[in-house]
Amino acid sequence: MQETDLLDLSDEADYAASQQHGSTSMMRSDSDSGKRSSSSETDPAEVLFAKDNVAIHPTQFASERISGRLKLIKQGCSLFLTWIPYKGQSSNGRISEKDMSLYTIRAEPLVDVRSIRRHTPALGWQYIIIVLSSGLAHPPLYFYNGGVREFLATIKQHIFLVRSAEDANVFLVNDLQNPLQRTLSSLELPRVSLASGPSTSISAGESPLNDDQERADGSIHDANSSISQYSGRHRQKNHDPARDLSIHVLEKFSLVTKFARETTSQLFRENSNGFGALDRKSYNLSADEYSPKAANNAEKVSNAHPVASDPMEFDKLSLVWGKPRQPPLGHEAWATFLDSEGRIVDSKDFKKRIFYGGVEHKLRTKVWPFLLGYYAYDSTYAERAYLRSTKKSEYETIKFQWQSITPEQAKRFTKFRERKGLIEKDVVRTDRSLSFYDGDDNPNVNLLRDILLTYSFYNFDLGYCQGMSDLLSPILFIMEEESESFWCFVALMERLGPNFNRDQNGMHSQLFALSKLVELLDSPLHNYFKQNECLNYFFCFRWVLIQFKREFEYDKTMRLWEVFWTHYLSEHLHLYVCVAILKRYRNKIMGEQMDFDTLLKFINELSGHIELDSILRDAEALCICAGENGAASIPPGTPPSLPIDNGLLYPQQDEVL
Amino acid sequence: MSYAYLFKYIIIGDTGVGKSCLLLQFTDKRFQPVHDLTIGVEFGARMITIDNKPIKLQIWDTAGQESFRSITRSYYRGAAGALLVYDITRRETFNHLASWLEDARQHANANMTIMLIGNKSDLAHRRAVSTEEGEQFAKEHGLIFMEASAKTAQNVEEAFIKTAATIYKKIQDGVFDVSNESYGIKVGYGGIPGPSGGRDGSSSQGGSCCS
Repeated sequence: MQETDLLDLSDEADYAASQQHGSTSMMRSDSDSGKRSSSSETDPAEVLFAKDNVAIHPTQFASERISGRLKLIKQGCSLFLTWIPYKGQSSNGRISEKDMSLYTIRAEPLVDVRSIRRHTPALGWQYIIIVLSSGLAHPPLYFYNGGVREFLATIKQHIFLVRSAEDANVFLVNDLQNPLQRTLSSLELPRVSLASGPSTSISAGESPLNDDQERADGSIHDANSSISQYSGRHRQKNHDPARDLSIHVLEKFSLVTKFARETTSQLFRENSNGFGALDRKSYNLSADEYSPKAANNAEKVSNAHPVASDPMEFDKLSLVWGKPRQPPLGHEAWATFLDSEGRIVDSKDFKKRIFYGGVEHKLRTKVWPFLLGYYAYDSTYAERAYLRSTKKSEYETIKFQWQSITPEQAKRFTKFRERKGLIEKDVVRTDRSLSFYDGDDNPNVNLLRDILLTYSFYNFDLGYCQGMSDLLSPILFIMEEESESFWCFVALMERLGPNFNRDQNGMHSQLFALSKLVELLDSPLHNYFKQNECLNYFFCFRWVLIQFKREFEYDKTMRLWEVFWTHYLSEHLHLYVCVAILKRYRNKIMGEQMDFDTLLKFINELSGHIELDSILRDAEALCICAGENGAASIPPGTPPSLPIDNGLLYPQQDEVL
Repeated sequence: MSYAYLFKYIIIGDTGVGKSCLLLQFTDKRFQPVHDLTIGVEFGARMITIDNKPIKLQIWDTAGQESFRSITRSYYRGAAGALLVYDITRRETFNHLASWLEDARQHANANMTIMLIGNKSDLAHRRAVSTEEGEQFAKEHGLIFMEASAKTAQNVEEAFIKTAATIYKKIQDGVFDVSNESYGIKVGYGGIPGPSGGRDGSSSQGGSCCS
């Protein structure tokens, strides 16, 4: 427990680094860096609160915690929260730098925070969970040196905190600017006593425990065996939140708080719990939903902790926050990934770099063939030049197969005629508003046709299906050269071909996996879809079929695709993007009681209104949150995983055009 | 804008017969030869007036390709009207009508009003299906029939409105229980639910565009 002494300098270094990445520029002016900030033109920042030895537990073992310093910083009239891990000071070698930076909280504006939940277990360390407006939350922050009350009190001095009517340990963070919320806050909500146990009505603020003394010694468990023993038993009941925190429970809190923000009048009139509003019009569910649990809870912990959390609510921990996007990979950085013969030495690092920022437009023509799997990462310049030339002649051979069909032969070849007719009809309806494809007799439109028709001979079993032209269009736009475009498209179709199977099995398996992910990551939303017969997820059909091509502008689509193609966190990031978008609109979907038709229309009309970078961050966070459980929700072989080789790539496709 | 009734329509038929163009001509009164092919479904809406009552048409324009049939089927639910479209210059689109009809019968409400449209009537010189054949097919299957052109706008307005008038008459005749939204009809403000003595659903053209 020497961290306190060792941290300061590394903390500052990290903080300085974080300033460059954080979206908010903010200058420090606390005691140890006040001089630096004086040279700044921006408002000086003031550190309102700083607490050392605030840790997160990335695993279920407290010994693997990452310790750091929590600060509240005020700049202008904005409040920010930071938590920076101590550099090189993780208590266990298994925690990497990567993990540490993953969990770092860089200048989180308090206006983006929806609520803070305080946990005061009888034994163990107090911790808080910060729930963001997006519904996501940071992992629990454990106060090894105490200070939760002081932390909340400091916040309360600067912005309005409202104690949730639902749970006295949940504090709703209100925006100072909003007069309605100001009113709400100033009223100091009377805490509604939901539970029958007398102790539950005791405010957490009156808790007999003293924040600053209770957990000053982090090694209390080791020091006293009898306490340790009790702790063990107690923890069994209470579960370690680092293991047991459920995502949807967090959202339950956030939903409660959001509801409190939005419908203040309701809140006062009735014992609202907000959550029940989803399925009943009257907001009086709290009593019957919460009493048994709360009473039970009160009985267990009444001696010390009147408002301890309900242990049953926590089943898994996981919340982190996706990293900010970086600028796209440029030529200089690209060169550093190549050895003298042109191999990409560290493909994992390369993919990671692209995952977080994409690729500069001009560089795409070089990078995409790798991402798509057409070029091997360990190939040399010479090998690739050779590949291009052999693949070019191979392409010409396949292309000649349909080019050599005479009119007389075509008359007797219905399948070819139909296929060709379909492709010709569709290429003139693909991205014609782009200058690259516009105008009469555009040669690029003819290239689209030739490549698709050649592909339908290369993969005769699959043939042609609508949507393929949407997938090919950006590839041709980037690669320009016909044969290279074809082989990049072939590589993409190795993964996405099943989307176009006649029986739609590839689509169904992805939509099924999506439903499993929503069930895991947002069970109230899942239940809502279930009740409203929306579980087929057909409203996400277009998203999945052509990888959001119709939902974003052309350039954004290309950015999204190259991120997908890295397969950096998951081969199925696109499904997490689906979840992220649905979660962003979950309150609207459920609040407006959308049925299947309304939902489909709503989702369709989101096209052009989705903010790519923030959705990618959400998706990243959700993917990390879901972890192995997420991966287990996606059956093996679900596209875009490479198909499990059974000899026939596209069996039973006889009737496909 | 308030409406007396809202009718859900679905437009079905082979790919490339002009479904999206018919919709655009009806909602925006323009023909756009260059537009993206439909993936999944697109939506359009317009107000019309029938029997002096404002009626909102919410129109679902579906993807025509065979592979997407299983998805398209989920769109039939709750449709009051369907426009079944073929291309008079492409025989095969006419030949596929029976299978489209079978889908509609199987997955839509039995009382759904179906309008058969032979599109691209402006291309009469390339005609591959005669008007009589279209009429005959419609008669055999109990459909309303019209030839139309999304390009020249000929009969486009009429096709949508005649379908609505037929649905409206069914409401007046008490065929629908309008309180049950599975018939694809929603009663809006000013709508009079239930039968009201079997007046003719005389149609009048009109309406402002409304999405």
